[in-house]
Amino acid sequence: MAKEQLDLLSVRVKLFASAREAIGKDQIIVSLAKQTTVGDLRKKILELYPSLASKKIPFIVAVNHKVVDDSTTISHLDEVAILPPVSGG
Amino acid sequence: MISITREPIDLCDVLVAAKDKSAGGTVLFIGSVRDHNEDGPVSEIFYEAYKEMAEAKMAEIENEVRKRWKIKKFVAIHRVGNLKVGEPSVAVIVSAEHRQEAFEACKYGIDEIKTRVPIWKKEVSESGVSWVEGVSLKK
Repeated sequence: MAKEQLDLLSVRVKLFASAREAIGKDQIIVSLAKQTTVGDLRKKILELYPSLASKKIPFIVAVNHKVVDDSTTISHLDEVAILPPVSGG
Repeated sequence: MISITREPIDLCDVLVAAKDKSAGGTVLFIGSVRDHNEDGPVSEIFYEAYKEMAEAKMAEIENEVRKRWKIKKFVAIHRVGNLKVGEPSVAVIVSAEHRQEAFEACKYGIDEIKTRVPIWKKEVSESGVSWVEGVSLKK
């Protein structure tokens, strides 16, 4: 049990716009295995919060203010955010 | 000057920020809340930003502008919060020695801001309140 906890990584994920409203929070904390990728995080978020899929909210993931692809590895202190399509201006 | 702000955009202030003695031309673009969309009247728009990333992206756009055009000042400001019809939501101001650089750089600035900066808008209309369908951010 203790060992399992040591192998887990808690990732704080910021949420915006339609994704924030669908989940009902402006940030969530997701527990993942260490050496986790953005793809793993995406899968986990969709499992934990099915409203994102049911409301058909597409999103990309930013790590430390940069848009990344699903193969990117997430580390403990990274700032992670999920971002629906943008519409500024 | 790059800024995401909750305060109303003061167009005089932004023009002063773009002032430069060696500039012969200054171009100002203002985006403002329109009173309608494709489906009918719009009464207000709520804007939300991922402030830290938005400011970083706007600074990145300024760097690109400075590589491509010889400009003097670049000012980009985007407002967040609830905005009424007619209020400015975004302003991009570029000063340069000559007008051509200023026009081109200003157009590039606003075009890139609209597709690369994490900002979202939600329109309040007669049919309800809805997030505007946007464009997916690219790497």
